[in-house]
Amino acid sequence: MSSRRQFIQTTVAGGAALAGLTACSSSSTSSGNGGSPPPPTPAVTGPILVLVQIQGGSDWLSMLPPTSGANAGAYATNRPVLAIPTSNLTDLGGGIGLNKDCTGLDVIHAAGKIAWIPGVGMPNPNLSHFTSTDFWGQGAAVPDGTGWLGRWGDAAFAPTDVLRGITTTSDIILMNHGRKRDFVAITSSAGFSFPAYLRSSAQVPDSNLLKSGYAYSLSNPGTATDVSTAASEGKLFYDAATKFSTAIAPRTPTVPYPGDTGYAIANVSSQLSSQLKLVAQMIASGIPGQIYTVRLGGFDTHSNQLADYPRLMRALGGSIKAFYDDLASINTTVNSQTIKAQDRVMVVGWSEFGRRIKENNGGTDHGTAILSFALGNMVKGGFYGLGYPDLTKPDSNGNMVFTTDFRSLYATILEKFLGYSDSKGILGATYPTLGFL
Amino acid sequence: MATFDAQQGSWTASDVMHFARRAGFGVTPEAAVLLAAQPTSTVIDAWINQSANMTAFNAALPKADVISDSVRGAIPADPAPHPFRLEGWRRQSGIPIAQSHFAWRMQFNPNSFQEKLALFFHQLFATGAEKVDNTAFTVKQINLFRTLGTAKFRNLLLAVSKDPAMMVWLDTVLNRVRPGSGDIPNENYAREILELYSLGVDNGYNQQDITNLAKALSGWTYTPLDVQADPNNPQIQRPNDATFRVNTNFHATGSVTFLGSTFDIGAPSDFGDACIAAILTQRGANCAAFLAKRLLTFFVNPNFSSTALSDLQAVILAQNFDMKAILKLIFKSAYFFDGSNRYNLYEGPVAWTVRMSRMLCPDLSTATVPSLPSFPAWRAVAPFLENAGQAVLDPAGPNGWAEHAGWINSNTARYRGKLAAALALGENLTLTQMIFPSTVASWFPTPPTSTQAVFDRLAALLQPAPIPADIQSTWLNGLWTSGFIWDSSAATQAKVRELAFLILCSPHAQLH
Repeated sequence: MSSRRQFIQTTVAGGAALAGLTACSSSSTSSGNGGSPPPPTPAVTGPILVLVQIQGGSDWLSMLPPTSGANAGAYATNRPVLAIPTSNLTDLGGGIGLNKDCTGLDVIHAAGKIAWIPGVGMPNPNLSHFTSTDFWGQGAAVPDGTGWLGRWGDAAFAPTDVLRGITTTSDIILMNHGRKRDFVAITSSAGFSFPAYLRSSAQVPDSNLLKSGYAYSLSNPGTATDVSTAASEGKLFYDAATKFSTAIAPRTPTVPYPGDTGYAIANVSSQLSSQLKLVAQMIASGIPGQIYTVRLGGFDTHSNQLADYPRLMRALGGSIKAFYDDLASINTTVNSQTIKAQDRVMVVGWSEFGRRIKENNGGTDHGTAILSFALGNMVKGGFYGLGYPDLTKPDSNGNMVFTTDFRSLYATILEKFLGYSDSKGILGATYPTLGFL
Repeated sequence: MATFDAQQGSWTASDVMHFARRAGFGVTPEAAVLLAAQPTSTVIDAWINQSANMTAFNAALPKADVISDSVRGAIPADPAPHPFRLEGWRRQSGIPIAQSHFAWRMQFNPNSFQEKLALFFHQLFATGAEKVDNTAFTVKQINLFRTLGTAKFRNLLLAVSKDPAMMVWLDTVLNRVRPGSGDIPNENYAREILELYSLGVDNGYNQQDITNLAKALSGWTYTPLDVQADPNNPQIQRPNDATFRVNTNFHATGSVTFLGSTFDIGAPSDFGDACIAAILTQRGANCAAFLAKRLLTFFVNPNFSSTALSDLQAVILAQNFDMKAILKLIFKSAYFFDGSNRYNLYEGPVAWTVRMSRMLCPDLSTATVPSLPSFPAWRAVAPFLENAGQAVLDPAGPNGWAEHAGWINSNTARYRGKLAAALALGENLTLTQMIFPSTVASWFPTPPTSTQAVFDRLAALLQPAPIPADIQSTWLNGLWTSGFIWDSSAATQAKVRELAFLILCSPHAQLH
């Protein structure tokens, strides 16, 4: 990987990074150098990662647009209708502004608790939502039907730890598939018990017999693969529900979330806020989730972007800000220590791709590099990665050329946040880590 | 094409049940015996030709409980263009009504293949009702699958491209390029028709093809017909129907190159149709391979071999994309009936629920048609379909749902268990009405004489993949702890229902 590292360092030295951006720090840990490196020290005790999928391909040039220099000129030229006016931007310095509709993230930025990583992407990007989401999910060169978080779960979770990887969506995206087991999907705290009727929450009478059927299918070597897969998912729900239903406690958030009575802005979608509220409830209840994945959809803004994007920004920023504030009131216990939840949780945003630099008639089409961000008390705020994409030099399809490999983001999370040294084992190669932790 | 050579000789009731699970929503063991007595080819031809008498079904449809009491009876009989137009455009209530309507049709349509094929094409051309925001349009699209599903694929592809629900869903109606203006087209539909609906991702096209196809389809829109005011918001006019047209004010002109050929997209005789036709003429082999994958995954074997794929691709090309001929060849093939292709496919949650309701609930001839309690309350079930893994008619994205293994995760296991409870345990909707009305007596035409006979009959009805004898005996010994008595007591009924519930929840019953 030395040639790759040299390339990155050369790029930085060559000045591709914009003023105001901090070049990534090279990782001091690597499993590629032989021997067993000492485990890295995680940034916090009992880290909890909340990964926000910004689904549909976010037009982040409308979230964090350039405000000066050649990029600002290119932005204005390509976005005659959709460019965000400076009056609706909070100046973040370095020739970059934050869309004021992204409620609350300006406050977290001012507190120095948010790292912005513009231009994250991959070589040979794909403009299909689904292929690109899978690329982001697998996080490795060779696809094998598993995702990077699932593989980390394989390595880090004990078989009985069924509640350490949780998604609040009803589906399990590739990212959350391991070789041994999937994450568990918990879409509501009510009625997560086994097994219940459709409309009534009463328990059906024969759960032990049902469980014995799963157990037989899983222990019998003659069981067909399809049968054992369904049995293991059934058992996963059984095991998770058994632990979850005894641990979960009712909770009223300490701050209003978007969609709640008392939230300052009317008519903001509760799609994301309801999931983050559930995550806060799980954390407060002592559910041992270490990875939570949540989702906000609707970002496929081919049309109506002028009307839709502010609404999406309010849901994204407002929900995350409310969640961050809510966590301040939650005390958790890690190894007999009391630790504030806000000091354990890092929120990271990602999307399958950014959008075309040049607007169409009312929207933007599929593009490439994304804006990622990491937010939390352990984060050193600022700009990271290898620079804002050069909007004056798009690729042959008119899309941004990525600057920071997405697996650098993953390596940073694995090594510096989760304290897992063998990021190469998960990602298939060694990637330089970023300096925000 | 050897893979799809016809199965030789007679077939068995077990073969019939395999066929009916895949090409419909199952048949009872009794029906399977009757069908097995007829030649394979006769039964399959009639099934695909949809030859069953629809009179009773059409008479029952407008009275089904998929619609509210206030409008029941005021609905025109099927096949009317929009059977529940009266409230189709009520935004909040429309989706569950349409879902219920679709599920009700799946349960009772005597030509179940019509609905299974509509489900296949809905999975392929997945269109989300929430964004379309006009239930009449959503239903119109499903009807398109019913009427053109067995036609030539090129006809369906063009019709779907001009379908109002699809034109709203993927922004065709907002793809506006003023002639000679240099406006940038909205490429949403152009990308997805190639990636998701005809060729597969990056399979024979590039970004320039997408951009040029988007130009060719610019200005495509519809004229609303039969507009009515929304009674909840009288200022909002919603169309109950629409007809395709091209708005030349927003249609690009000139010539474009698409898939290697040049088209005059401004010619009124064309306006883009020829570009869609070119997908099959210029990339026929790619499209045939794409379709073959989808057909194999949905109907036969999700882990198909490369030989099966190339053989079906050849069949599709040889049949010139004639879906009826292709489907008959698939279902009559020795490959389809091969033992390795049985119980190798997880069933989607909607088809699964429908099939079990067909097995456990009264059919139309037994049900008293106009009375509400005779029908399962699909409207009570519809809100749970999303968590079961398939919000039918309202997929989140244009790629539909991940099939087979994608149907199975801890959350869908949770909700399949709940659906199983409603189906088997007789869960009530009201104090007097079950969600899925059924009687244990109707499941047993002959009284069973042993616990094993109870299991065998339920397994014959519900048709899970073979459940090991050890599991069977654990269940039977756990339920009948003190000997076997067959009577009409509540205790016996409860044991039988619990056994049906255990079978439905088993991993084996998720395969079909």
